[in-house]
Amino acid sequence: MKVEIVNLKKHFGATHAVNDVSFSFGAGQVVGFVGPNGAGKTTTMRILATLDEPTSGDVLLDGVSVVEEPERARHLVGYVPDSLPTHRDMSVHDYLDFFARAYGLMGAQREQVVESVEEFTNLLGIRDKMLVALSKGMKQRVSLARALLHDPGVLVMDEPAAGLDPRARIELRELLRVLSGQGKAILISSHILTELAEICHAAVIIEHGKILMAGAISDLLSTNVERRTVLIRVLGRQAELYRDLLEMPGIATAQLQGADVAAEINGTDEACSDVLTALVGRGYRVIEFKQQRANLEEIFMTVTKGVVQ
Amino acid sequence: MTAESVVRAADFSARFSDRLNPIVIKELRQAVQSRFVVAALMTLLSIQLVALAIFLLASGDVLLNFDAGRQVFMLLYGILLGIGMLFVPLYTGIRLAAERSDANVDLLFITTIQPRSIITGKLLAAIVLTVLIFSACMPFLVFTYFLRGIDLPSIFVVLALGFLVIIACTQLAIFIASLPLGRGFKALFGVGALLLFAVMYFTAVAGSSELVTQGIGSKLGRAAFWQGAGLAVLIFLFWCGLFFSLSVALIMPPAANRALPVRAFITGSWLVSGVVALLISVSQKDHSPLMVWQIVFNIVFAIALFVAVSERESIGRRVQRAIPALGPSRGVAFFFYSGAASGLAWASLMIVATLGLAWLWGKSHGGYMSLDDLHGSVKWLAGMCLYVLGYVLAGAALRRVLFRQLSVGLTWLLSVFLMALGCIVPFLLGYLLFSSERWTSESFGAWMIGNPFAWGVHSYRPLYFLTASSLVVLTLALNARGLLAQIRAFQPLPAATTQTEDA
Repeated sequence: MKVEIVNLKKHFGATHAVNDVSFSFGAGQVVGFVGPNGAGKTTTMRILATLDEPTSGDVLLDGVSVVEEPERARHLVGYVPDSLPTHRDMSVHDYLDFFARAYGLMGAQREQVVESVEEFTNLLGIRDKMLVALSKGMKQRVSLARALLHDPGVLVMDEPAAGLDPRARIELRELLRVLSGQGKAILISSHILTELAEICHAAVIIEHGKILMAGAISDLLSTNVERRTVLIRVLGRQAELYRDLLEMPGIATAQLQGADVAAEINGTDEACSDVLTALVGRGYRVIEFKQQRANLEEIFMTVTKGVVQ
Repeated sequence: MTAESVVRAADFSARFSDRLNPIVIKELRQAVQSRFVVAALMTLLSIQLVALAIFLLASGDVLLNFDAGRQVFMLLYGILLGIGMLFVPLYTGIRLAAERSDANVDLLFITTIQPRSIITGKLLAAIVLTVLIFSACMPFLVFTYFLRGIDLPSIFVVLALGFLVIIACTQLAIFIASLPLGRGFKALFGVGALLLFAVMYFTAVAGSSELVTQGIGSKLGRAAFWQGAGLAVLIFLFWCGLFFSLSVALIMPPAANRALPVRAFITGSWLVSGVVALLISVSQKDHSPLMVWQIVFNIVFAIALFVAVSERESIGRRVQRAIPALGPSRGVAFFFYSGAASGLAWASLMIVATLGLAWLWGKSHGGYMSLDDLHGSVKWLAGMCLYVLGYVLAGAALRRVLFRQLSVGLTWLLSVFLMALGCIVPFLLGYLLFSSERWTSESFGAWMIGNPFAWGVHSYRPLYFLTASSLVVLTLALNARGLLAQIRAFQPLPAATTQTEDA
């Protein structure tokens, strides 16, 4: 399964909710979709789920256009919205059975599918419980189970971890890992970035409807932007090193951290290399020069401005 | 019963269950689980039982009259109708409104289920619930036959009438629940509907009482009874069909061709009821049925003009892919696709057809009764529709020129505002500047040139016609560019686009 989002645009009057967004991902990949509120994440996901029509551009699911062939595309995509099931007077099993019927599953096949999905999402024990009596974590599992009923190749999840306690979050993460292992392509939006970094293979950062940064998580973490933090340890002359660093061009800040000096360098890997060369040139006996990897949260804060449209 | 027959029955049951609308199954499962439903049913039965007991114990000699059965029946029927008209529409409407307000309906759109099936399912479930309530009350109601004063046909016909009224109310509740409005506005509409239900309740009870008093058994052989029953069923079907198609259109995704179900239903009803009106006109040698038909439908089409002007101005690719490629088919299809231009064209065409048909029929059947009334109503409604078209187009032009930030969906509001201004401002000016003690309709008629409903002042009709026509010509010219662009854009999706993007 290959998901290609091609030059996607969605305008609501003068507001450009999604503005020329393009990225793609494939089977077994979990992609984090990150952005401040109002960035265009939900709109993009709704288009992917065939719920909204883009102003222009398209989403292709294994070549099937969500715009021109939404009926076919619906069989390929499972959508977990940011709201949880709220049906009154309905048990978990009845809810799943209803959606299985709505997906056109019949007879013994329907019963089999519902049961296997309940088993996979660990809902068998609570299948007769009323939906309103469930915790958020349980409801989220029901929501995921519903999206899996027709065995879609693509799973689109809008803020699935919102409001979940740590245990429910870990359980959800494990389920996503298994689904990814089964070859499902998963697009997941979340505000809990540490969570995303742990489960996602790649991430797309979006703001004002435009992609600011996209790529594999490891690449994002290593190629972060215009400032690097390095920890430097030298033999002796630690205080002198600290003063030198403060005066050195290209160094934003420096501070003593025990036996190390932490310095923020303006620039990329080349700038770091230049600093190291300069230090060696000045006679410092460098025994450690370690670049600190930024986390997804830092990257997010650096590249986004947090302005809502 | 053999094991084989048990297996066969189970197999049949499973296959039957598979064929059922999933919404019906879901709704009925929820109803069975709902304490509200059980409480309502128990309350109804308790009230009926207590009312019957009190009547039997307290009535004394009345029981010896030949009137007791009728009195008890009307009492029980009033309770049944009242609770049925409150409970079934409220239960169905509130449930749908709650589902509509969150992502539940969205989740249904990404299944294979159609918007039409959602509304059908809701209505069918309400019908089953009503049947359940009626079945539970049936023993009490049929028991009244043994108290004398009422015949069985009266019991069943009046119950059927009550049943239809409850279903009509439920369909209206489903429509209100489908409106894309906040809870506050929906509640406001709900209060309005409750007032309407109250009017319908008292009308139905009064009508039923009259029918029961006269006794229906003796009328079953008369054509007049069946004509009346047929008309009642036709009105019921039109009411339910109209609100059904509107509800389907409202819950359709914005990207779909929402206009199709509504316009198709109204066009079909227009045709069928037109034929029925003509047949009745011929049989009674009276133009009144045709007059009623043309008044009702022209009012519907005038309202449709306000809806049409608020429709979107460009069609999406999803709608585009269903446009027929062939010219003639595309020409017909144009009138049934979402869009301001197609909506205005459809409503205008239907108004012209309705007026033209009524006028020509009157001309060709001059000997029938109510000819003057028919022609008078045609002139009156022609003037009204012309004004409405003018105001609707003026609203569209104003939005395009001055209020570009205003959503297209609110154009109707501008049009209504302009119409209100047209009604009030000239008249107010005339009154302030020229009123005297002898300000008669003949003298102030000229100051009603902006009022679409002022065609009663005969001497000013040429002035009104000229004003309305000028307004239409002017506003049509102002909107011509946009409307023509929409007509030109009504093209099927190019095959090349699909192939390229698929590749």
